[in-house]
Amino acid sequence: MEQVDQLASLVPLLLGGAWLLPLASFTLIFLFGPKMGRHGRLAAYVATGAILGSFVLSITSFTMWLAQHGVTGAPTHASHDAESQQAAAEKSRAFLLEPSTFDPAANHFTSVAYRTDDHHEEAGDDADHLQNDHHGHGTGTSDHGHAAHQAPEKVVYTGSWYPLYRSKTLLIDIGYYIDILTVSIFCMVTLIASCIHFYSIGYMHEELTDELVDNECKLPDGTSLRRRGRFHRFFQYLSLFCFSMLGLVIAGNVAMVFVFWELVGICSYLLIGFYRERHSASTAANKAFIVNRVGDFGMIIGLMALWGSLGTFAFGDVDGRPGVFTLVTQAPGGIPNGMVRLAAYDQIEAGVQPTDEQLAIWREQHLGYGLLIVAGLGIFCGCVGKSAQFPLHVWLPDAMEGPTPVSALIHAATMVAAGVYLVGRFYPVFSPEVLLVIAYIGAITLFLAATIAIAATDIKRVLAYSTVSQLGYMMLALGVGGWLAGLFHLVTHAFFKALLFLCSGSVIHACHTNEMPLMGGLRKKMPWTAYTMLVGCLAISGAGIPFVIGFSGYYSKDAIIAQVLSFSRANPAHAPLYWVAAGGAAITAFYMFRLWFMTFAGKPRDTHIYEHAHESPKVMYVPLVILAIFATGVAWRVPGTNLSLANLIEDGRPVTSMTDGVFWSSLRIPNEHLSHSDVGIHTTATLVAFGTALSGFLLALLFYGTRTLNAEEVQQQFPRIHRFLINRWYIDDLYWAIFVRPTHFIAQRVAAFDRQRIDWFIDSTARWVRGLSRLDDLIDRYVVDGFVNLLATWTYGIGLSLRRVQTGRLRQYVMFIAVGTVALFVLASFLWSYAMAGS
Amino acid sequence: MGSDAIVWFLSLIVFLPALGAAALVFFPRDREDAIKLFSLAITIAVFVLTILLIIPTGGDGASIRFAPHEANMQLAFVRSWIPSFDIYYAMGLDGISFPLLLLTSSLSVLAMWASWGITKQIKAYCMLFLVLETGMLGIFLALDFFLFYVFWEVMLLPMYFLIGVWGGPRREYAAIKFFLYTLLGGVLMLIALLMLYFNSDLTQLSRDQLAMSMVPEKTIVAVEAEGQKPPELRQPIHTFNLLALATLGRETGVFDREILLGRSIQWWAFLLLFIGFVIKVPSVPVHTWLPDAHVEAPTPISMILAGILLKMGGYGILRICYPICPDGGFDLRWVVCVVGAVSMVYGAFAALAQKDFKRLVAYSSVSHMGYVVLGLGVWSATQGNLFNPEYWQLGVNGAMFQMIAHGISSAGMFFMVGVIYDRVHHRNLNEFGGLFAKMPVYSGLATIIFFAGLGLPGLCGFIGEVLVVLSVWNFSYALAVVAASVVILTAGYILWTLQRVYLGPEYKGPHADALKPMTAREIGIAVPLVVFAILFGVYPQAVFNYMAPTVDQTIEQLAEWTRDVKTPRLQQEQSSEESDVEKTASRLFKNTPAELDRASHRAAPVVDVRQPRSLQRHGAAPLVETTLRPIKAGAASPDI
Repeated sequence: MEQVDQLASLVPLLLGGAWLLPLASFTLIFLFGPKMGRHGRLAAYVATGAILGSFVLSITSFTMWLAQHGVTGAPTHASHDAESQQAAAEKSRAFLLEPSTFDPAANHFTSVAYRTDDHHEEAGDDADHLQNDHHGHGTGTSDHGHAAHQAPEKVVYTGSWYPLYRSKTLLIDIGYYIDILTVSIFCMVTLIASCIHFYSIGYMHEELTDELVDNECKLPDGTSLRRRGRFHRFFQYLSLFCFSMLGLVIAGNVAMVFVFWELVGICSYLLIGFYRERHSASTAANKAFIVNRVGDFGMIIGLMALWGSLGTFAFGDVDGRPGVFTLVTQAPGGIPNGMVRLAAYDQIEAGVQPTDEQLAIWREQHLGYGLLIVAGLGIFCGCVGKSAQFPLHVWLPDAMEGPTPVSALIHAATMVAAGVYLVGRFYPVFSPEVLLVIAYIGAITLFLAATIAIAATDIKRVLAYSTVSQLGYMMLALGVGGWLAGLFHLVTHAFFKALLFLCSGSVIHACHTNEMPLMGGLRKKMPWTAYTMLVGCLAISGAGIPFVIGFSGYYSKDAIIAQVLSFSRANPAHAPLYWVAAGGAAITAFYMFRLWFMTFAGKPRDTHIYEHAHESPKVMYVPLVILAIFATGVAWRVPGTNLSLANLIEDGRPVTSMTDGVFWSSLRIPNEHLSHSDVGIHTTATLVAFGTALSGFLLALLFYGTRTLNAEEVQQQFPRIHRFLINRWYIDDLYWAIFVRPTHFIAQRVAAFDRQRIDWFIDSTARWVRGLSRLDDLIDRYVVDGFVNLLATWTYGIGLSLRRVQTGRLRQYVMFIAVGTVALFVLASFLWSYAMAGS
Repeated sequence: MGSDAIVWFLSLIVFLPALGAAALVFFPRDREDAIKLFSLAITIAVFVLTILLIIPTGGDGASIRFAPHEANMQLAFVRSWIPSFDIYYAMGLDGISFPLLLLTSSLSVLAMWASWGITKQIKAYCMLFLVLETGMLGIFLALDFFLFYVFWEVMLLPMYFLIGVWGGPRREYAAIKFFLYTLLGGVLMLIALLMLYFNSDLTQLSRDQLAMSMVPEKTIVAVEAEGQKPPELRQPIHTFNLLALATLGRETGVFDREILLGRSIQWWAFLLLFIGFVIKVPSVPVHTWLPDAHVEAPTPISMILAGILLKMGGYGILRICYPICPDGGFDLRWVVCVVGAVSMVYGAFAALAQKDFKRLVAYSSVSHMGYVVLGLGVWSATQGNLFNPEYWQLGVNGAMFQMIAHGISSAGMFFMVGVIYDRVHHRNLNEFGGLFAKMPVYSGLATIIFFAGLGLPGLCGFIGEVLVVLSVWNFSYALAVVAASVVILTAGYILWTLQRVYLGPEYKGPHADALKPMTAREIGIAVPLVVFAILFGVYPQAVFNYMAPTVDQTIEQLAEWTRDVKTPRLQQEQSSEESDVEKTASRLFKNTPAELDRASHRAAPVVDVRQPRSLQRHGAAPLVETTLRPIKAGAASPDI
């Protein structure tokens, strides 16, 4: 236990260091980039050094992990026998009622060993049949039916580094959740990133100049743009990307995932728009970010549903606070109390007290299950955006505007895989209904992208659609319960797709064009590139000798197809998923070999380009060789040990609690181990995968290798289909018509409303007030002043007329006085008598 | 109350700029540099004074320092001002006002420094600027409603002249529009202020409550003397004290009298105040003064306007509307939230359609300040979540953080627009492009600031937005979805702007040769904004340490009020309505057992008709009316 505790503090430290090194490199280059040697050449070494350091730290923690925990490769679940189930139920109940049963001393070490399955009764015999019969995977076979308590526990280190927001019970923090999957992905990311950093030093050398001519960016006067090179900026962004990506992987909670999710998004934006003078590049960058934000919109909804009901984002239990996984997997039926209560909001508002009994009643009515689905679908929405799944796949092909190393690192190997990673990480929270949606989205994506890849002629776009298609495979696998298969394919794909992209970059570097019809016969000019790329093609097609050995893709694709087959047997209604998966394998092999044959085989189609083509420098092809080695053998088991990629990932398998649909009660998610242990399924899948891939390869060979068949003729025979595929199913045009233009239209209307309606109202109110005041002015001038003036005029007139009286003659005055006095006297007496008479 | 040192210190902070403005009278008109430097020195001095408040001193208890992690009013004092109308010169700071005070003092320095480009009538400009600063600082410090109102009006006039004299071509229109809008808000506030004043009655409060509310000892004695009199002879004692008004609003029923259309004083006061403040925020549909004012105002004034003046609306809502008129706030919570959400969406759409750079930034302010109104309004502490106010606290903390963040990012954005406008003298978004090549440092800094506005994690805009959005779910799913959707539009208009202005092969507008790199002064203004945008984005606790305790306490009090006062009242209203229905029904039909069952089910829980809390403690008979209070429900905090 002593040693375990040491590792618990050491591994987060090491991986934290690996995570922060690229940030340090980013900061350095950000502040001092232009001063780093001539044209910022040293920036490359800073960034590469940082990522190499990260790689070393990751490998160190990986080794320590293996030394400490070993590889079992055995399923970590407890079994379903009544005893352990009862124990689990008891534990969960105790836990739910009294969170303080968590031992604060054991903060950083959490073992998850129990699996609750409260659908046991409802699931009935079928589920029993499916689940009773599971064996260990790989060599670590053991009988778990009666060895629940000896089952290896899943090792997880969790903790919190610092809070972003904290109140009494709510906490959003920067923390970590480290299991063997995290460590493996760290190694994978840093290894590929290191290769790509080295490669970039060669690929981006054009930027090491004061005046770079960008022939793809024309000024209005027809000349090419001339600009300063930006070598250091490229490495600055790469470092920021590595930091963000590693942060995403190490994240201890889904809010932190979201933070780094956005950050990788902005890195992707910066790198797609690296040639920022090109309008196409900046537009593609905007498109990538905004389409991803559409996914994030869904993700935020998922986050809100989780946050609003559970009040936590943490994956695992941190400092005695139960995380999302614990809450979901230990709650009866997978619906945590918080969700039940939030769903029963109305009834609580009406005065029903949410006691335990009441919660149980509500849970029976599936209250809260909807929230669980919203949370799952919402999180998945984010993954749809990031992993370029249908219907948000449109950004990835455009993202090829960025420099090729970026396409390899971000848009093939790591960032786009983040969506798949998150689905894998968040697996316990996905209910079977959500998994089915994931499976269908994956299947649609895989088919759609594969068909578009057939018709594309731009070498990078073929690879981009191939990436989309392979990501679809991973999603499909995860959706049908193939957790291991999906993540397995994620890792193998990362290697061979990075390899393929770097090879294509090498080709582009040599030919200065992306168009495959202008290439051909290049294998003689650039053998390293050609044969490493062949390895990549074989790996992605899943080439191998059935049941003996194969390239890495052979194992992962087999696993996927086996699980899809297992799923479609358990749910015959969803058999089309299997057909798509099998058909997709054929299409994959076809378009990949089409690419290879068009580029490297046959005769040169453009002699000018062929003449100038050359093999890339060593700094570029050595990474290709390294990646080719991994693409070949990353899935192999180290002889004499338990250590293999599949076993490693298996050790990270999360505890899940839901296998059967609630709203869709016929839905069953079969246990993944069944697809390995059931010989029928396994054999069928292997043969099908082999057969389809072989047929795809042969077709490509006939069309583009031996030219026995003519591709142009086929195109001419089916012009509509060809046009449909060339135009990418018209999806971009459709989005432009139904989303972009209406948005701009609404924006115009809103702005016009502001000016024409609100301001019109304000201004006309002001005009009315001014009109009123003018009226008031008129009244003032003519009525009020008029009256006063009239009075004045009268007074003046009287005065004037009285002036005549003032003659200065004394006798006249005396007479006036006399007459006046008499008149007054008469008047007074008259009034007096009148008054008296009145009284 | 409050030591003399505190009185002098806070008064110095507030009135130093005004004194500076007075001193400027003696400067010769043509000594422009001296005038500018002197004004800058004054703003820096104020900034230093406010910074002194957070610097820890060596354990000296008597020192003047604003402590973090403290919920109550600090450094507060009350001095007599116009005693015949119960008006006091009362100031103080708490977690809500203190961050805004720092924001004001720091942005004033930057805006003053940004005023170097002003050439017309420097002396008058600087004087008005300094008077404006006094008004702004005073608003955040005032604890007396009347004093608050005075500062509110004091701030108005300099702003009018600063836009109207130093503005762009349509400056008169913009200035008068700004003036009339704000004046309208001020008038509504005045009405509410008088309504509250004449209905306030300190005799309803206990001695403890009076002391807590910083009522001076003399008044407390008077209140007690009043309490000794026989009830029929008692006279109410009015007050403008914001804390006392809040206590009255929460703990007693003095503002519950119906006055118009069956609505209470509270309801009307809340509405009037809310309109008054929301004009300032500004929210749709009373926002149209903002784009015009921003477009016409000179750059530093735009910075002040967006960075600080808009915050007064949010501050007023949190400081005055909710605590004093909780009942109005509860009844109108949907109005508040819908106004906020509509502003977010509307502002974002309008920003997307703008061709004028400054107008675009102005509409982005409308959108971003919508988050503030929404976050303040998510009254999710109800029976449905067992009166757990944490999600509301989250929203209000998010809203307050968003105000600080927006103060930094919007001031930065306006400054960035100003930098380019000073060079090329136009703001047409379609006539920029390629600035990255010509002004790399400027473009880099501007990109960071715009990303902060975009709500990118690691920058200040993210925290506020995400906290507000997360808080909305428990209030309303629909509003939450609307609020979340704004992230797409925000990305749209900001990225499109960046593309049109900074990216692209070459500059497309006039005066291309004027595109010189940023000067040292301009970098000096931009860099602090960028640094704080990053700091607050990475370590938001720097703000929350000061802010959250007060916000949490305020909201917790309102949640308690919801549990103890509002819910029983609602239940009583409902049951009385229902009993009316039942009576009618029983007259028409014979009572069926099912109906009886239903009636008994819906009957309100036991309601204990007792005296208000204050009166029990005070030992006096109820004067105005009794408040219904339930037997405290055993509302355990929910296990999450």
